[in-house]
Amino acid sequence: MTALLEIEDLRVTFNTRYGEVTALDSVSMHVNEGETLGVVGESGCGKSITALSTMGLIPMPPGRIAGGAIRLNGEDLTKVSDSRMRSLRGGDIAMIFQEPMTSLNPVFTVGDQIAEAIMLHQKVSRDQALKDAIALLDRVGIPSPDKRALDYPHQLSGGMRQRVMIAMAVSCRPKVLIADEPTTALDVTVQAQIFDLLNEIQRDYGSAIILITHDMGAISEMADRVAVMYAGRVIEDATADQVLDSPQHPYARGLISCIPALGKGAQQDRLAEIPGVVPPLHMLGAGCSFKERCSLTNARCGSEKPQLINHGAHPVACHAAEEGRA
Amino acid sequence: MNASYLMKRLGYGLLLMLGVVVLNFLLIRLAPGDPAVVIAGEMGGATEEMLESIREEYGLNKPVLTQLGIYVGNILQGNLGESFFFNQPVSKLIGERIFPTILLVLSALITAIVLGVFFGVLASRKPNGVLSAAVAVFSSIGYAVPVFWTGIMLIILFASVFPIFPVEGMMSVKLRDANIFIRSLDVLHHLVLPAFTLSVIYLAQYARLSRASMLEVLGSDYIRTARAKGASERTVLFKHALRNAALPILTVAGLQFGSLISGALLVETVFNWPGMGTLAFESILRRDYPTIMGVLLIASGIVVVANLLTDMSYRIADPRLRGES
Amino acid sequence: MTDLSNSEGQTMADEPQQDYQAESPLLEAWRMYRRNIPALFGTVMLTVIIAATFYGMFFYTGDAYDIVWAPHEPPGVTPEFPLGTDYLGRDLIAGLLTGGGPTLAVGAAAAALTMVIGISLGALAGFYGGWVDNLLMRITEFFQVLPALLFAMVLVTLFSPSLTTIAVAIGVVSWPQTARLTRAEFLRIKQLEYVTAARAIGAKNKRIIWKVILPNALPPLIVSATLTVGVAILFEAGLSFLGLGDPNVMSWGLMIGANREYILDAWWPVTFPGLAIFFTVFSVSLIGDGLNDAFNPKLRER
Repeated sequence: MTALLEIEDLRVTFNTRYGEVTALDSVSMHVNEGETLGVVGESGCGKSITALSTMGLIPMPPGRIAGGAIRLNGEDLTKVSDSRMRSLRGGDIAMIFQEPMTSLNPVFTVGDQIAEAIMLHQKVSRDQALKDAIALLDRVGIPSPDKRALDYPHQLSGGMRQRVMIAMAVSCRPKVLIADEPTTALDVTVQAQIFDLLNEIQRDYGSAIILITHDMGAISEMADRVAVMYAGRVIEDATADQVLDSPQHPYARGLISCIPALGKGAQQDRLAEIPGVVPPLHMLGAGCSFKERCSLTNARCGSEKPQLINHGAHPVACHAAEEGRA
Repeated sequence: MNASYLMKRLGYGLLLMLGVVVLNFLLIRLAPGDPAVVIAGEMGGATEEMLESIREEYGLNKPVLTQLGIYVGNILQGNLGESFFFNQPVSKLIGERIFPTILLVLSALITAIVLGVFFGVLASRKPNGVLSAAVAVFSSIGYAVPVFWTGIMLIILFASVFPIFPVEGMMSVKLRDANIFIRSLDVLHHLVLPAFTLSVIYLAQYARLSRASMLEVLGSDYIRTARAKGASERTVLFKHALRNAALPILTVAGLQFGSLISGALLVETVFNWPGMGTLAFESILRRDYPTIMGVLLIASGIVVVANLLTDMSYRIADPRLRGES
Repeated sequence: MTDLSNSEGQTMADEPQQDYQAESPLLEAWRMYRRNIPALFGTVMLTVIIAATFYGMFFYTGDAYDIVWAPHEPPGVTPEFPLGTDYLGRDLIAGLLTGGGPTLAVGAAAAALTMVIGISLGALAGFYGGWVDNLLMRITEFFQVLPALLFAMVLVTLFSPSLTTIAVAIGVVSWPQTARLTRAEFLRIKQLEYVTAARAIGAKNKRIIWKVILPNALPPLIVSATLTVGVAILFEAGLSFLGLGDPNVMSWGLMIGANREYILDAWWPVTFPGLAIFFTVFSVSLIGDGLNDAFNPKLRER
């Protein structure tokens, strides 16, 4: 079966002062209707660039889509015209951003901003759009929505603003909803509410959700399947349960052991950590990009780039996993 | 708008005006020589009789504080004094000259803002493009060129090379009896060169400022949100970005009103524009102090009003400030 | 682009391999400045102008005040007077070389006075806050309401129109901006850790103001001082143009003012002094921009 959204061998490069840097290197992932795909990784691994590429929001230049395809219902988004992309953006694919505090325009009321999204994609009057906006505010759980619609962003709390962002994003019942770390900036209690809301929205609208996060807790709560990214590549692709219970890649294993509640040895004195940092993208050499931080390296890891291949349970890009050393 | 805030600002504006009145008084007292002679004007060749009546009117034989009281009281009653050179009340003189000055200043300001913002927004589309470089160069030139000299150069150009705009005055003598519409057009025709001269400096500044301000705003998260909604580039630029980028432009426009008036003064004398600038110039040459003091007071008043209006429009433009007082 | 530098760019910007030796901010600013071609151009231009106005008359024979030829001799006609003569028949080159000195001197003195008043009041307001700040800011606002040129005209007319009076008048009307800038810098810096540290070891207020905060507030103030010189020169030119300068001292503004009645007969006596003012202020502004870039490397892309 063909997936609703399919990213295939996507390669995105940026012109920087170090020359052309590959930010995404043959990234592939897909998401089906009504499904939630988690994309996990440290900051700088390429999760956000993947999301922005899908939205057609990569600044070009310096960015460039150097290869691959992003297919929504079979239509390749890397090839469509600007105006077609504009009508898809906010209509069929919508996105919720990380920073609710700064993602809303400070000089317009939230009602206006939601109504604008509606009017950009549906032929409705301004009055109707404002009514719809109020209904959406109600839908995302904002009390007295008719009054709040007249508020400016600075009058709302962070959680409320993220609800407004969600209302705006789902205003045209998108087929794909990309949520880029939607709860990072919020309190823990608010985080849970936002996740509940996203689940409800998905149930009601049947949207596919791509949840970008570095938080394995969020993954366990939300995701059906998971793509783990590292240094611009997908290194493990599996169901959420598989990744959480039996991660194959040493990096994915490291990520899991960083979660206190999920760590198998409950008495461990301190949380596990992954030694080292993500190497700068312009300094990636040959071989596996995780080799400097990995305890299972051998000569092959230094010379040959591991491919994302199913060695048993699910696809993973690791020589150690392939050789059974993991 | 918050009414009590408005009252507070108005009261503060009046206080500033009172400050200018006191300053005027101090200047007359501090100037070397007999204040009565100063008030009469050194060029007036005032008779002893006149000086005596001035001493009487301003209470110059009384203690300094009483004098200040009389001075302030006179001005509060709208009595700005008598111009001995023009032989007219100062308030009447200024009343005749205030409209041309405001017309000149506002035309220049609007031209500068509209054109400057237009070029600045276009330049911000390509931060390293040709237009951006042009804006940078032009703003350095605009800062460095003496405004009176620009005016003179334009007079040379338009008087002898392209005689399409009048280079002097505000109205043609031969059209004095034409109907109001023709006369208005005539005034606008005369306005072109002075207003352009005055606007050049500010045009360059606003272009540079709005470019920088737009670049800052275009990098912000809510612009990405607007794009993510599927808004067109034009909507993103002129609706979402410009509304925010306009805030610092508005601030600067308000702060610069005083310097705009100073520039207008020079431009008026160059083009013989019959405004408060030429009045100030004429009265200074004749040492007609009541008039020059009156011009200083009223010009400061214009700045106070302009600042008040800027403040109010800032509050309308930025909803974050509306609740505060 | 901003997205990039915020998220993905973080790792790209690291330079772990490079051996990095810290150098003093001033030295680094100087290195930046040295590479800034417009700024260097401005520096050279200003140096030439200053040298010409202060030493030019040692090499050029002729007196700016003497009537030496027929009036309105056009430039390039008589070899002895390459730029021609003015309405009285005075040599324009001599005028330009002589008239720059007062303009530059008044500009520099007025800018110095502006900085002294502005920095002192701004520092006090920013450092002490409270009622001191309130009072000083009210005074600052008051001076911002007065149209500067008009006020300077009044001052110059009431008191004698000497170069000193003009410099003082310009200084008295120009300081509010400097005061605001200084205050803002002081408000920002006084919250930083090293100021708290200085307080913790018992430094006195006076020491904290002058030895701890001021040196760190200098970069924007230096830039502002440069631009103030430019504004002061324009100011002096404007006053002289109106005939309110010292009538006995040749200056560029005076040359323009004196010759403006004849502009339709002779363009050159007005054009050349104007160009002289323009190039002087232009070079000052190039230097100011260069300093600004050198002190704020982050803003360079703007």
